[in-house]
Amino acid sequence: MIHTPLVRELRARLGAENVLSAPSELAVYDCDAYTIERRRPDVVVLPQSTQQVAEVVKLAKRHDVPVVPRGAGTSLSGGCVPLGGGVVVVLARMNRIVEIDLRNRMAVVEAGVPNLRLTQHLAGTGYHFAPDPASQAASTIGGNVATNAGGPHTLKYGVTVNHVFGIEAVLGDGWIVRLAPVENPRELDLIGLIVGSEGTLGIVTKIWVRLTRDPQDYRTMRAVFNTVDDATRTVTRVIAAGIIPAAVELMDQGIMAAIEETMHFGLPLDAGAMLVIELDGPAVGLDAQQERVIEFCRDCGARELLHAADSRQRERLWQCRKSSGAALGRLSPSFLCQDGVVPRTRLPEILRRIAEIGRKHQLRIVNLAHAGDGNVHPNVLFDDRDPDQVTRALAAGRELLEACIQCGGSITAEHGIGIEKVDLMERLFSE
Amino acid sequence: MTTDALPLTQTNAPADAAEVAEVVRGAFRDKMPVYPIGGGTALDYGGRPTAPGVGLSLEKLSRVIDYPADDMTITVDAGLTIAELAEHLRTHRQRLPVDIPHADRATVGGVVATAPSGPRRYAYGTMRDYVIGVRVVDGTGMEFSGGGRVVRNVAGYNICRLMVGSLGPIGVITQVTLMVRPMPEASALVVCEVGDFDAAERILAALVHTQTLPAAVELLAGPAQQQGAVLGPMLESSAARVIVGFEGSELEVDWMVGQLRKEWSEAGISTPITIEPADAAAAWDWLGGLPADVQINVRPGATVAMIEQVLRLDSRCSIQAHAGNGVIRVGWSPSQTPPVALSPSETPPTTLPWRELRGAAAEAGGNVVLLSHADDRQLTARDVWGPPGDAATVVRAIKDRFDPQGILNPGRLDYGS
Ligand SMILES: Cc1cc2nc3c(=O)[nH]c(=O)nc-3n(C[C@H](O)[C@H](O)[C@H](O)COP(=O)(O)OP(=O)(O)OC[C@H]3O[C@@H](n4cnc5c(N)ncnc54)[C@H](O)[C@@H]3O)c2cc1C
Repeated sequence: MIHTPLVRELRARLGAENVLSAPSELAVYDCDAYTIERRRPDVVVLPQSTQQVAEVVKLAKRHDVPVVPRGAGTSLSGGCVPLGGGVVVVLARMNRIVEIDLRNRMAVVEAGVPNLRLTQHLAGTGYHFAPDPASQAASTIGGNVATNAGGPHTLKYGVTVNHVFGIEAVLGDGWIVRLAPVENPRELDLIGLIVGSEGTLGIVTKIWVRLTRDPQDYRTMRAVFNTVDDATRTVTRVIAAGIIPAAVELMDQGIMAAIEETMHFGLPLDAGAMLVIELDGPAVGLDAQQERVIEFCRDCGARELLHAADSRQRERLWQCRKSSGAALGRLSPSFLCQDGVVPRTRLPEILRRIAEIGRKHQLRIVNLAHAGDGNVHPNVLFDDRDPDQVTRALAAGRELLEACIQCGGSITAEHGIGIEKVDLMERLFSE
Repeated sequence: MTTDALPLTQTNAPADAAEVAEVVRGAFRDKMPVYPIGGGTALDYGGRPTAPGVGLSLEKLSRVIDYPADDMTITVDAGLTIAELAEHLRTHRQRLPVDIPHADRATVGGVVATAPSGPRRYAYGTMRDYVIGVRVVDGTGMEFSGGGRVVRNVAGYNICRLMVGSLGPIGVITQVTLMVRPMPEASALVVCEVGDFDAAERILAALVHTQTLPAAVELLAGPAQQQGAVLGPMLESSAARVIVGFEGSELEVDWMVGQLRKEWSEAGISTPITIEPADAAAAWDWLGGLPADVQINVRPGATVAMIEQVLRLDSRCSIQAHAGNGVIRVGWSPSQTPPVALSPSETPPTTLPWRELRGAAAEAGGNVVLLSHADDRQLTARDVWGPPGDAATVVRAIKDRFDPQGILNPGRLDYGS
């Protein structure tokens, strides 16, 4: 496509340095973090302003080629793959933090600002941006908005949509809309509609986000259980007591083994599950809450309990959760990180069914869960050089999502539909 | 219940969602307007209905369908009242942390459609943050659903968000799944009076950096508030009251009250009073149920300046601001104790200087909505809501898809043209 009229026009408008069309340059954009399906775009543009985005969209429309927006490309569901070719619009160069306004507890950012950069920028102000997907060092706030990203803290602090109250976006015909940062009861909640729409309603260029007060203090615990049921019952007891932890991460036996094989934290290999629980809030209430949580862990049969005495120990407790991605990377040539959700009390059931699915397809599946809200991430380990394994991994992924639907849940809690799950939508909404 | 605000030829009370769909299908065929009715507490919210039609009462849809308390969700029929909902949730020490007036009559479906909120929105957000699943009958009589019964779900467009505050034209809500929260163990409020509005703004600005975690940041001003109902009269020399509410464990609330008093005392704010846990519930209820005729939305930091403008336009009015959120509620009736219905002898609402207010709010980047205009039949939807914004054409296109004949609550919203 190197010399097509569209590319020439794009170059004229955006400057040649912001338009990529050589095959070697395009190859980088043929997939995202879901690497199973790939398609090279015909041209990639890196606009620097909302105006430029609008021009690109208008040009693409005139030439009748599709447009796919892209942030950092960390999507785990293939949301950035341009299945129909066309233009990929990369927002990475629109990365200005436009305004920090503490009086109004808000920040205004361009879509390409990496999530973590905003929080780093806010250090010392007493505020942060609450959504913190595990990909936050790379993923963009625009991408977080498009996927309604979550993270470990959503049970207490909500997902991205709970923290966005203004959006500027370029719609499909190149029209720039600004959805007011002041709530207007006369209008349908279009912001709520665009958040999580994965780029299908428009390209988000600027975002007004709510800032959240930093917690005064933390208490972090790690508890090891013989069974997933014990761990899940613990979470239920904690929540029934009116304690909403800042995070409750569950790791099953498989992922503990995977972490232990590569990282050697000294995790017991015969344990059924492990929880990392974190409480936050005003310091005065935390010790009493921690005591109760520990009591619930013991009641439910915790066989090993640690709590962090200082921030270094806290880091260490979190380390074993956070290193899971790296551990899997070392264990297996490829892994499919799935994302399903069930009512929290049905976590033991879904994990049993996932194990069956793994046995059936002869694949190792290890699980992480944001246990507080029933969001489970089964990781299907496979070798992408073996077409048969790829087929089985995809089949297993699909079956475990169907199991989530059957357990009264849904096929994605935070990673989005992308190209991966489109064909499951009908299943979900006809149940 | 009075349905005077609606031009009804008859009212149906279907027994279930299938019957709701049947009524709407019939209306769609006959191009007959349909007015959904919940508890009848907000039937005059929005513009005047433009044509006679059938009332569709959801009162018989009043079951709790599923309450898995351990999952912190509840699925209910749209006609269940908020008070009944609260009663069920109380058995598991849970609640929906949104302040809803007339809870004894207001229904879950009505509340989703109108999206009221109150003081607690500072900490907990609004209905938008709690609706995780809906079942709806659209304007052709077709049933559809959005979301689900899990607290986290990003599969597909967020139809729940589309329904919250939609006031009818997307569809008739028949079933709702809500995320709920634990009931806090304790609560208290700290109240201070300020001599002028500059002082009020200083206090509000300082609250951004308080060590405490307020559940509500309220400001009261104007003659009725000066007389004070639950809180007692203000000092002669005071211009306004700032109220900060706390909720949490007993330890937390106790500490936060002490900490805020310390912060205020260091800032030279004199003699705040504390409404102790034993009396706090009554104060919260009062603050959550204060009526108003007009709502102004601005940025939080523009709240105080806007209030000063309102009082300059009409010094008789009474003001409650959810100041931490930039929501200003203005009442013109002499007493701020409900009900606010204006009797003929009182100032008719046409004298409200809302046109001037609208200009001032627009300048501050905000907007003005008339909440009650019971006696004024001249007001159009445009008067009530103000001029359509940037996205009106998009909104209209969405609405036309769900309600192609325009039979759902015609006239109450204005989509521009
Ligand atoms: C190691 C790892 C950990 C992860 N952890 C989490 C997690 O904890 N929680 C979570 O929710 N997700 C997680 N993810 C998934 C992913 O990071 C999130 O979906 C993230 O929000 C995507 O941001 P991005 O900038 O990379 O967007 P991209 O991947 O570039 O795009 C994602 C989707 O959004 C669209 N899009 C991107 N930018 C825009 C825009 N400006 N306007 C309109 N549409 C746009 C794209 O077309 C695509 O459909 C993880 C991914 C990885 C690789």
